[in-house]
Amino acid sequence: MIEFKNVTKTYNTGTEAVHDASFMIEKGEFAFLVGESGSGKSTLIKLILKEEEATKGSILINGKDITNIKRKRIPYLRRSMGVVFQDFRLLPDKTVYENVAFAMYIVNATKKHIKRQVPMVLDLVGLRDKAKMFPHELSGGEQQRVAIARALVNNPSMIIADEPTGNLDPKTAWDIMTLLNDINARGTTVVMATHAVDIVNKMRKRVIQIDRGNIVRDDKKGGYNGEV
Amino acid sequence: MRFSYLFVEGFKSVFKNKKSTTISLITMICAMFLFGVFFAIGQNINYILDQVQRNQGIEVFIKNEATDEQVVALGEQIRKLEGVNRAKFKTKEEALDSMKESMQEYKDLLEGYEGQNNIFPASYVVTLTDLKLAEQVESQIAEMDNVKKITSSNNTINTLLKIANGAKLTIGVIFVILLIISITIIANTIRLSVYARRKEISIMKYVGATNGFIRWPFMVEGMVIGLIAAILTIVIVSGCYDLIVHKIAESNVLQTMGITLLNFSELVSSISLVYCVLGILVGLVGSSISMKKYLEV
Repeated sequence: MIEFKNVTKTYNTGTEAVHDASFMIEKGEFAFLVGESGSGKSTLIKLILKEEEATKGSILINGKDITNIKRKRIPYLRRSMGVVFQDFRLLPDKTVYENVAFAMYIVNATKKHIKRQVPMVLDLVGLRDKAKMFPHELSGGEQQRVAIARALVNNPSMIIADEPTGNLDPKTAWDIMTLLNDINARGTTVVMATHAVDIVNKMRKRVIQIDRGNIVRDDKKGGYNGEV
Repeated sequence: MRFSYLFVEGFKSVFKNKKSTTISLITMICAMFLFGVFFAIGQNINYILDQVQRNQGIEVFIKNEATDEQVVALGEQIRKLEGVNRAKFKTKEEALDSMKESMQEYKDLLEGYEGQNNIFPASYVVTLTDLKLAEQVESQIAEMDNVKKITSSNNTINTLLKIANGAKLTIGVIFVILLIISITIIANTIRLSVYARRKEISIMKYVGATNGFIRWPFMVEGMVIGLIAAILTIVIVSGCYDLIVHKIAESNVLQTMGITLLNFSELVSSISLVYCVLGILVGLVGSSISMKKYLEV
């Protein structure tokens, strides 16, 4: 569960990226954050990840106010969410398996647990037989699947995806959307920032639209035409 | 398992970044070698001072008219003083013999001074536990009865003390300078390593790695470099040391003074300990300095 209460973010440069934003994404929901480049989408994501601090207002994640949590607690907050990026961000010198297992090493998982969990997640994203390959041997769509597997492997309560289809062709993008939809169907909250109009329109999920820092629309089963 | 993972990661990157590792190794070895030279000099000065302390004593000449009992009592009195190591009685005959010995070629001149005619006074040769107490001991002995004269190598003692103190100070200053240089070098190496792995670090941060988890492999990397530098330097220093000490030992100056220098085997444990602790510490401090910036995401 993610709740924004009158959140404003002003950067040190004086730019107001988000103005008085309030919304609530329930557990198990699938929500799109839409808007043009520079509209404030990325800032919203960064605020959720606690990469940036809110200037005003408060943000609740799973019922806990994260506005004033200590720096030391941030890693533990991030373990409750899996993050997927537009540029995949895989480690090039590690295999598919190692890239996913890496996320488990970080949270001090046991060897036994890693050995059981990683193949399971690779199965889920359909990459079990490519476990020993390196990222450069995979297609873009496959790389993004690895990234999703990495985001999922620690069983987070939500997936935060920042333009996950941005670098993919339409067909592959749809495969990824199907995968995210499946993951959502299993109970994981999915928040996805995008400006891919066709995807948003076809999925018919909740749409939160942001324009120049203001939330201008919040439809339960919305479409999006790229305009306000 | 957790620790071994972090350790292996750090160890791997030592050999992954060969170029920067080599450069920092060489520079660190140079710094440590310089330090080793001064350390060895310092240790030897202390060692020499120790020998001098033991050999350079005070000679207390006894008045001829003193009775045997008075002589024994004087000896007791001297031995009770603070800072006195030993007080050895030297009879008139021994004094004559040692004079003869030091005047080998003119031995004839001293003939006829034996027995009743012996003009050399008996004495106590007093050695000290601490050269700093020399003056104090001397003045206390001077006040005792039956003391004819005191000779001491006061000037030698003072000069040696001054040299020792000067050397200690110089070594301290050089130590600090080399320490700063070494830390800067390591910090720079680790910074390169961190920069090369910044992507990995940012991923780690997003997945929820604690700062400690991210920092450890780099700390290990710094420590391993420091330790390798330490071991290599010990090898180099041991080779050079024996060579140089051998040359010095052959020279006449030290031999006539009856002074020996430390063998490397006597130095090796202290120098190894200093190097290893130093290498690890420098590695730790250096890497934590360079990590700071990258952990603030």
